[in-house]
Amino acid sequence: MGKTKKIPKLIGTSVPRVDLQEKATGEAIFTDDIQFGNKLLYARIKRSPHPHALIKSIDTSQAENYPGVKAVVTGADFAGRIGLYLKDRHIFARDRVRYVGEPVAGVAAVSEDVAERALDLIQVEYERLPAVFLPQDAIKPDAPLIHPDLGEYEVVNFIYPKPGTNISNHFKIRKGEPENSWQNCAAIVENEYYIPHIQHVPLETHVAVAKVDLSGKITLWTSSQSPFAQRDLIAKTWGMSPSDIRVISPFVGGGFGCKAGVTMEALPIVIAMKVKGHPVKLRLTREEEFYTNFVRQALLIRLKIGCDAEGNILAMENTMYWDGGASTEYGVNIARAGGYSCTGPYDIPNVKADSYCVYTNNTIGGPYRGFGMSELHTGIEQCIDELADKIQIDKVAFRKRNVVEAGDILATGMVMHPNGIKTCIDKVAGAIEWGKSSQSSDPHKKRGKGIAVMWKAPAMPPNAGSSATLKFNSDGTVFLSVGGQEIGQGSFTVAAQMAAAALGVPVEWVRISRPLDTNYSSYEWQTVASRITWTMGNAILAAAKDARDQIFKIVAEAWSENPDDLELENGVVTSKFSSRKISLKDFVITGIPKGNDQGWIGGPIIGRGKFMPTYVTGLDKETGQGKRAVVHFTTGAQGFIVEIDTQTGKLEIIKAVSAFDVGKAINPDLVKTQIEGGMMQGISSALFEQLVFKEGVLQNPSFVDYRIATTVDTPNQMECYFVEVPQDDGPYGARGVGEHPMVPTIAAIGNAIYDAVGIRLHGPPFTSEKIYFAIKERGQTGS
Amino acid sequence: MVNPLPRLPQFEYIRMDSVEKTVSFLKDKQDEARPLLGGTDLFVVMRDRRLHPKFLVDLKHLDGFKTLTFDNKKGLTVGAAVSLNQLISSKEVQKHFPVLAQAAKQVGGYQLRNRATLVGNLCNASPCGDTIGPSMIYNGKANVVGPSGERVIPLNGFFTGPGQTSLEIGEIVQSLSFPLPPKGSKGTYLSIGRNKLSDLAMAAVTVSAFPNEKSTSGFHFRIALSAVAPTVIYVKEAQELLADQPINDTTIEKAAQIARRVCKPIDDIRASKAYRREMIYTLTLRGLHEVWKSLQS
Amino acid sequence: MKMHTINININGHKESLEVSSNLTLLHMIREELALTGTKNGCEAGECGACTVMVNDEPVNSCMVLAIECDGADILTIEGLTASGELNKLQKSFMKLNAIQCGFCTPGMLLSAYALLQRNPNPTESEIKEALVGNLCRCTGYERIIQAVQDAVSE
Repeated sequence: MGKTKKIPKLIGTSVPRVDLQEKATGEAIFTDDIQFGNKLLYARIKRSPHPHALIKSIDTSQAENYPGVKAVVTGADFAGRIGLYLKDRHIFARDRVRYVGEPVAGVAAVSEDVAERALDLIQVEYERLPAVFLPQDAIKPDAPLIHPDLGEYEVVNFIYPKPGTNISNHFKIRKGEPENSWQNCAAIVENEYYIPHIQHVPLETHVAVAKVDLSGKITLWTSSQSPFAQRDLIAKTWGMSPSDIRVISPFVGGGFGCKAGVTMEALPIVIAMKVKGHPVKLRLTREEEFYTNFVRQALLIRLKIGCDAEGNILAMENTMYWDGGASTEYGVNIARAGGYSCTGPYDIPNVKADSYCVYTNNTIGGPYRGFGMSELHTGIEQCIDELADKIQIDKVAFRKRNVVEAGDILATGMVMHPNGIKTCIDKVAGAIEWGKSSQSSDPHKKRGKGIAVMWKAPAMPPNAGSSATLKFNSDGTVFLSVGGQEIGQGSFTVAAQMAAAALGVPVEWVRISRPLDTNYSSYEWQTVASRITWTMGNAILAAAKDARDQIFKIVAEAWSENPDDLELENGVVTSKFSSRKISLKDFVITGIPKGNDQGWIGGPIIGRGKFMPTYVTGLDKETGQGKRAVVHFTTGAQGFIVEIDTQTGKLEIIKAVSAFDVGKAINPDLVKTQIEGGMMQGISSALFEQLVFKEGVLQNPSFVDYRIATTVDTPNQMECYFVEVPQDDGPYGARGVGEHPMVPTIAAIGNAIYDAVGIRLHGPPFTSEKIYFAIKERGQTGS
Repeated sequence: MVNPLPRLPQFEYIRMDSVEKTVSFLKDKQDEARPLLGGTDLFVVMRDRRLHPKFLVDLKHLDGFKTLTFDNKKGLTVGAAVSLNQLISSKEVQKHFPVLAQAAKQVGGYQLRNRATLVGNLCNASPCGDTIGPSMIYNGKANVVGPSGERVIPLNGFFTGPGQTSLEIGEIVQSLSFPLPPKGSKGTYLSIGRNKLSDLAMAAVTVSAFPNEKSTSGFHFRIALSAVAPTVIYVKEAQELLADQPINDTTIEKAAQIARRVCKPIDDIRASKAYRREMIYTLTLRGLHEVWKSLQS
Repeated sequence: MKMHTINININGHKESLEVSSNLTLLHMIREELALTGTKNGCEAGECGACTVMVNDEPVNSCMVLAIECDGADILTIEGLTASGELNKLQKSFMKLNAIQCGFCTPGMLLSAYALLQRNPNPTESEIKEALVGNLCRCTGYERIIQAVQDAVSE
């Protein structure tokens, strides 16, 4: 995989993104831009107004007869359940609804307007059931049971639901003897934090167009991070062969996890089955995007951490209650990831962790950038700060003393690999001048500095695979077919870079086959987990090697030379032995003629490669122990200098700094743009964002009251660094970094607030109101 | 919970070629018709299913509605269709009515302010509308025309409750008039939102003052509070204090405390009443100091 | 529903269209004219993804009725390259990687374009204020501000 070989110059160069011009001109096609012609029908969904209720009856007769309506469906039209790790969701509700916004009926009509009016004609009779909205309430024995059939749901073997309860997963870590360690601790901190629901807010809302032809084959055009996973999930649920389902996904206007798995995409499929031959489009409004699809699970986390007099962390108890919402088909794995990552990037010998994924009657919790890590670290990193204070050791020094090093045995028993977390800490601490106090010129304003560290492993099944195909054109240019989706992170660009570097052609010669199309693109599990550069990259390198092997074999045969003496660079094959040359364009499709017109050697070259980790093991159900829980961890640190106006509680970010160990930055500037964007999303989640639910009803389903960061909310200064401690099986040593920049942010800002004004807020968002009253309570209002 | 519509519901767009015909149509159709200026509030409310007028009657093209005029004697006349950006960029507004421009800049983003109008903002009568306090403090008057003819409504009596004005069915505001502020006037508009800009105010204060021989203190202050009562309210008690007592840190502090006491905020999704009350204190204090400082320079 | 004929000049071309009263400018552009560069982000005038120029002023096209644009000059993202050349703002955005998913980009470019029309030499603060009505979730805004500054210095 190129770890001992010299790294090509192209790797580590900030080549321009391959999709810049079409996005700058507006030519880039997103799913709602595709022109479908006159047969297109528009779908709208009737949704439950109740958080928990039985459906007594649905009368669709008036809607069916409404002029312009072509199809009406309800849960009665499709019995199947769908789910990635746990099949717990009906496409349209059957017999009961479990959250406000759950699809109850669907209409396809000649216009959105007609479809919407038809919805009003559908009569649904509900019988309300008691509902539950907090995970700590939902686990009580007398809580309303949201999924009475939990025991019957298909589930993967690494998720452990508890039938007869609202617990859809309980992941445990039992390492060492925490209960006997507290007596040896010189300082112990015990705290509880609540991190509320937030939403991904992609600028492009969900949109899917489904068409079912007369033979029953399905075509789905959708803004998707996961065309292949969607195809396979739909195939399983419909009992079809995946080859009869085609998922096409053009550019994605932001995913952040919400466009992974199958959510609303299945709705137009059910409707389309009633109007075969017609494409049926469903586009979520911004309001629907806020409350009907995926949100980030809320978390209640209880931590107890203790250290000895020297500041070595001896023990941790970590209990996490994840508010999974009405369906936890995806959320169960977030609870698992929270579980095996429960210590944060620290070496802790005694650990007891319980991570519960709990059903509630809130909106469906799903994958969100960080996959549980932001929520987890919000707790851990604030707790660590308090512990360092208690034992009176500098917070940076305390962290450096305890962070994981190569060779450490982690909470699951896995051995930690080399990593650059200490260098990241040093970079960040240096950039915010840790140790030097910062003063505001305004007597009412107080400044503080805070730092937080993090780690995250790609959370995925142990056998999530990637593949890549390189197809040549007669001029030597190449079509690279991958399944890794461009969701803004730059994956198409680094794919082209890696292919060009590994193959030996200029980067401009590599085109990505797009849009992604499961009929033609090479298989990729999903574009999630910050895994694509690493896993797709490995597949690309394998495909490039495969192509090179074929190329060298052909040329060697033609020249009667040894393939080992051949080199391919800039699209030209040269021999180190004889100095002969031949350009790819001269033979890569049509082969090389034998001497004296005696025939031909070669033919059209196709390089193919795959990558799937082979070494991830299962974990013991009772202890969470196993040889290798995850493929690897990306580590990093973040620091903030904040300034707080004590008279209003308003917080301004003076400086924001990040450093992440990416193994090898394939495209340094794209790594930086990911860090910048992630940090800003983190800042937004720390200061502004919260989905406010009242009895299951979202109170702020629009930008008016769900605030996100705007241009004027940016830090005065932002610095991004990356560190490169190579990943042993990463392409050129690379590791992912897409999610990580928003993971430590809430904690780092929380720690900076404490440094500034001596207050601890036990959950974001850190609004000016919360800060103001906390300061007042502490008796520190400026005067 | 009712899901908002995916697009604007059906309605008829109406344009009459005179004010009289417009007013007559509005009176005729009663609740079925709404006047249309920028639409920035109306369209959102219609998608939210809170209003479903059959007719939207555009006013923007009517004679004089897009005109902003300034006269050294009469003061400022702002036509109903004058956009907030038009208002903000007017040199006369910047010079003579700076607080109006300052407050208008808080509304939404630049694109929105090309459509939002001052009259529309006022007629929307949101308790947290940024332009209301400054419009009142500048003694604005609404020039209204209706089925029974024309009348002038001083803004101080125009707002009757959240989202409610004293306009009757069929009446529209043709323009706003602002007399020239008294010589030496200074003022400021301070608000606090969740983001630094473009958010609705959780609390806001408009402060203005001018030299006044008739006051013991030598100055006449006006303080208007926004987002902390059903309508914008003056802090009369504080205004009187600042007229009767010499102006210094003590009186200013007292005035700010009075403002905190008299405001009537509520808890809502943006802020609690307790926080709003405290911010009224802080903003009033800051506003008074700022204006006092500029009066002295 | 009654249909109305409107005449517009869009990106330098004259068009005559039949529109219903409730058709917004956004939907007219995207659906009647199939100019899909302008995006639908919220339909409530909050996100700026639908920004276009009407009579030389940037507006949220989701908050404007098509019928109100009778006789108007409209510029969409496609119009920035009507001459066949990339606008200097587009070049700067590309140069500085101020584009990630690309969904906010057309609206952002139109807002920036409008800014430079009225203020050819804006300060950093003025750039931020001019773009406060354009939300971006991917870039964190840093590169976008830098790109506008870069275009100014060109």
